[in-house]
Amino acid sequence: MPRRLLDRCQPDSIHEFRLAARRRYDDALTLAFSGRRTASIYLLGYAAEMTLKAAYFYLVGLSEKLPITWSGHLLPAINRGRSLGIIWPNSGAGHNVRAWAELLIQVRASSQVNSYSAAFGREVQRQGQRIEQHWRETLRYHKNHAYEYELTQVRDSVEWYLVHSEDL
Amino acid sequence: MPRIKRPFNEVTRAVSAELASRLAEELRGDREFGQPMIDEQEFPSGRLRVNVIWDDWDRMSLEDRTSLILRAYEMAESRAYRERIALANGLTVPEAIAAGMLPYHVFPALRQGDSVTAEQCRKAMIEEGASILLGEERPVLRFATEEQAEAARTRLALRLPASEPVWVVTQDVGRVEELVGV
Repeated sequence: MPRRLLDRCQPDSIHEFRLAARRRYDDALTLAFSGRRTASIYLLGYAAEMTLKAAYFYLVGLSEKLPITWSGHLLPAINRGRSLGIIWPNSGAGHNVRAWAELLIQVRASSQVNSYSAAFGREVQRQGQRIEQHWRETLRYHKNHAYEYELTQVRDSVEWYLVHSEDL
Repeated sequence: MPRIKRPFNEVTRAVSAELASRLAEELRGDREFGQPMIDEQEFPSGRLRVNVIWDDWDRMSLEDRTSLILRAYEMAESRAYRERIALANGLTVPEAIAAGMLPYHVFPALRQGDSVTAEQCRKAMIEEGASILLGEERPVLRFATEEQAEAARTRLALRLPASEPVWVVTQDVGRVEELVGV
């Protein structure tokens, strides 16, 4: 008997986040092509979130397949961000794309060698701000239909993160 | 078949020239009190993080706020200085309070027989930089540090003679979960 889907899932890790981000992006495109814009945005947001989390944990030296846990990695990262002064609301903290983007910028800016160039850093922040304007993980609870420009903006931002995932 | 090649251009957002000029003026002026409150933090790399707390951000997108801050720094300082800014965030006072960035609260605790009125206190608080986004009738005067709050209390007492005993400074406490580290 084949194993169930949930049993087949690997633990969260940089490797898993990166591959899953790409899959959710593809899923989001399929939804967009059939006019399901809110659902498309919903998945795109996760693609951004996973790309940024993978980048952060890679930056701090986690190995690609090390299981990432809430208490061992995600919560300490959020607390680190807060201690650095990043505005990181409690609600949906793990999913806050703008805050993850700012954490990357700030941690890199703290280092003499890893800082983003000014223009690149601005884009990292800008894309996160734009996604935050349209996406929350709570979108799933709502019946609203997204406008085309909202989908375009989120998709462009997520594509930017995916294209630059190696540089984040 | 057409093959379209497009470079990625950094988007320069059109920002309000008037607001950018006002913020640039504030940066040059370095006022002791009032809005906007500008917090600059320098990293060892020389990069800067800038938070600008200002009620004039109300109804403006985060992206536009960031663009405007960068533009104002370029106007007030230089392009090179702007390039040092790694993170720029604009928040209204209520947003900054919600983010826990302004835990110190200055307000009047009026009693019968005090020599100043609630209306005088309200006006003095607004002059001091209190936010009226939550209602003009109840201005909110908040600060990041106790020193800033005490300095504001001193200025309020000077601005409104005989009001010194009226002004109170309190500090928000975090949620229980945060205190016990849950």
